Amino acid sequence: MIQIDLNKKLQAAEGEMLLKLKIDIEKGEFVTLYGASGVGKTSTLRMISGLLNPDAGKIIVNDEVWFDQSKKINLTPQKRKVGYVFQDYALFPQMTVLENLQFAQTKKYGAKAITSLIELMELGQLQNRKPETLSGGQKQRVALARALVQQPEILLLDEPLAALDTTIRYKLQEYLKQIHSEFKLTTILISHDVSEIVKLADRVICLEDGKIINQGTPEHVFINQKLSGKFKFTGEVLKVSNEELISIVTVRIHTEVVKVVVQPEEAQNLDVGDKVLVVSKAFNPLLYKLRAR
Amino acid sequence: MNNFEGFIKTVHVNGNLSIVDIDVTSDILMKAIVIDTPETASYLKSNAKVSILFKETEVIIGLGDQSGISLQNKIPAIITHLEIGNLLCKLDLKSDAGIFTAIISAAAAVALDLKVEDEVIAMIKLNEVMLRSL
Repeated sequence: MIQIDLNKKLQAAEGEMLLKLKIDIEKGEFVTLYGASGVGKTSTLRMISGLLNPDAGKIIVNDEVWFDQSKKINLTPQKRKVGYVFQDYALFPQMTVLENLQFAQTKKYGAKAITSLIELMELGQLQNRKPETLSGGQKQRVALARALVQQPEILLLDEPLAALDTTIRYKLQEYLKQIHSEFKLTTILISHDVSEIVKLADRVICLEDGKIINQGTPEHVFINQKLSGKFKFTGEVLKVSNEELISIVTVRIHTEVVKVVVQPEEAQNLDVGDKVLVVSKAFNPLLYKLRAR
Repeated sequence: MNNFEGFIKTVHVNGNLSIVDIDVTSDILMKAIVIDTPETASYLKSNAKVSILFKETEVIIGLGDQSGISLQNKIPAIITHLEIGNLLCKLDLKSDAGIFTAIISAAAAVALDLKVEDEVIAMIKLNEVMLRSL
């Protein structure tokens, strides 16, 4: 169980903002922080990792006090069992993939464990290469592996997949899912991608101006459960084209692209990049069984 | 999307499916089939207020008596506006349930000789109707 109770005055774009959060996270839970830029998501992760000091509050992880302002307890980042992955990888450029992992290795984490981690993250072919020769997706796999050799109790992910293209992002989401359960981690992810959140998170916490405004399962928060339709996906608008008397909206759902016919008045409210719920009745689609030729 | 409001009258359950009867007005009863039961969706109970949603492209337009047809969602309506394109035709309709829109083929509109002020029967299959609890 992780108990987080944070108070921190932050400088936001519109002036001073008071971050005031109280979150209890169960061991093994996958939680997402969701909200616009500058609401305090990254600051929250930095305070958990010890890179930023709260003005007041407590951070208690599995009965161990990491931070308690009233008792003047403040563990250094090195003493907090946290793995932190950023959008920009932050790998050591002069070291190979393997050296990057070995550098982060804790004493208890043996060479054998690194080998099995390299296998799990499919880094075998890459282990003797330098980061500059790797693609974005490969670098992020290395960054994830490096966070894991530190044997974290909490994995903090600050939009780790935001810079990657859709196909790679989709693949890395599978890795995140796998390592979260395999290493029995408690994971806190910052993400703006609704479909990613629906796929990965047990709980999404929506922040606004440093406060929690809503939380619940992704389905509860993002998908209107009050709709009876059972053929339901979240997607992103790629294109809106106006035809005679109707409009056709092209929507990306994960890695697939679909088209939906709407009324021109409905299309007027849609912009490229908007997140949408695609919903239909379960009675409408046809299923074709795919057979290998 | 077309949207009427009504109150659930009866929920007929069998297995995981329900057919929901909804009173839209005292004369207009609409039906929807859903993969839900009162156990899985708490709003499925008598007198609950719901939105009845259906796409413009799923509306069927008939003239005269439609008693010999399997569709049960039948709404008497009057055409208030009609726009015929090359392929499609948009009908704005007024009914006791509310105003709504139908998109049918232009050829069908011509074949039926549809005009503003015409009285028609708008029909929607019950598996095309979605419900939203209010």
